[in-house]
Amino acid sequence: MLTEATSRRAKRPVKPITLVGVDVYIITEDGIPVFDEYGAFKIEFVSNRGTKVWPGYVSPDLMMVNWYRCRFMAKGPVTDADVDVLLASLSKKWKWSAAQKLWNYGDEAGFSKAY
Amino acid sequence: MKKHVITMLPGEGTGPEICEAVRRVIDRSGVDITWEYEEIGLDCLKEHGTLLPEKTIKSIAKNKIAIKGPTTTPVGTGHKSANVTLRKMFDLYANVRPAKLIPVLKRPWDKIDILSFRENTEDCYAAIEHMVSDEVAQCLKVITWPGSVRIAEFAFKWARANNRKKIQCVHKANIMKMTDGLFLEAFREVAKNYPDIVAEDIIVDNCSMQLVRNPGQFDCLVLPNLYGDILSDLCAGLVGGLGFAPGANIGDNCSIFEAVHGSAPKYAGMKKVNPSAVLLSGVMMLKWINEHEAATRIEKGVDKVLAEAKHLTYDAGGTASTDEYADAIIKAMETV
Repeated sequence: MLTEATSRRAKRPVKPITLVGVDVYIITEDGIPVFDEYGAFKIEFVSNRGTKVWPGYVSPDLMMVNWYRCRFMAKGPVTDADVDVLLASLSKKWKWSAAQKLWNYGDEAGFSKAY
Repeated sequence: MKKHVITMLPGEGTGPEICEAVRRVIDRSGVDITWEYEEIGLDCLKEHGTLLPEKTIKSIAKNKIAIKGPTTTPVGTGHKSANVTLRKMFDLYANVRPAKLIPVLKRPWDKIDILSFRENTEDCYAAIEHMVSDEVAQCLKVITWPGSVRIAEFAFKWARANNRKKIQCVHKANIMKMTDGLFLEAFREVAKNYPDIVAEDIIVDNCSMQLVRNPGQFDCLVLPNLYGDILSDLCAGLVGGLGFAPGANIGDNCSIFEAVHGSAPKYAGMKKVNPSAVLLSGVMMLKWINEHEAATRIEKGVDKVLAEAKHLTYDAGGTASTDEYADAIIKAMETV
């Protein structure tokens, strides 16, 4: 059911939406997670409190918490079924709190990079 | 005399001319500093393809102390802020911003002496944003227990060392019960170890109103990142604007001192911008490295020049150039 106000809401111009990856939030006490390839995806970065901790330089001064954002980008065209396979595969080894699909809207990424 | 090696990041826009004036003043204050000049910001993006070259990172990592001029952050789209990148990379979790009345800048209050301690690495600055549908954008506000505890501990330690009497935790925990609630809980936990300092809390909207109505009532504020960003600028505005607003970004092993104002590219090369904010950041830096005599000498020089009001920059009602203002401070330092 749509409320009357919902029907009147402002609309953005429609753009084609493409699934291009998934952010998976993993909880671990064992430091920066290391991944193998997971099907249709590859790991792009891992961040902690918004700071990129893999790949590249990590300051020894950086304090990390037990919650890592792990960005998996699609190697090619993917569907929701590929995301299900990824999450099922991750669940065998990792505890995760949430997953957020990454979409492109037209040519623009609908997600931020990590610092 | 102790020798120091400090990374100098002139930045862009008016940054290089400001930093040159600041370097000249600091060099005449009685300290022995070897400056390592390194690049940062949009200008070096064109040359090196990055806002923050590897060489700059290595210099800061080696020296542990840097002073930085302003850089430009694109709005809405484009590259990440070089400032935020530095703060995150070196985990500079405490942003310290004093706001104190400057007599020459006539303000309608008798007393303002506020120290803001802004948590510098978390909150909505975690860069976790998604378009979760085509009409809904989401930003994750990340507040952590260890992050909240360490900024509270930093604030209480600083307050105790500097004979401050009261700290207020600024929050919106009545609405954001998980995130701001955690920040407030950590503050209250840490406060138990500092019975000599009055610990209170205040809701951010009330704090904003009270700051404008009666800023003299405030002593120290400890704030999550976003409220700290906004209210510390408000405090700077109360005492005369960003031209006189210094700042320090401090971590456990590294510190970067910087003004909080922008790079003012339209004034670049005109040598008319007030260098006080970077200079007073330099004073904070000198105190941090235990060069208190030099810091006091510069402070007194600045106070004298401002009191005489003969060599003020345009924002303070004068006509002096950046260099003339710096020269006047150097001359004043010789007599204080």
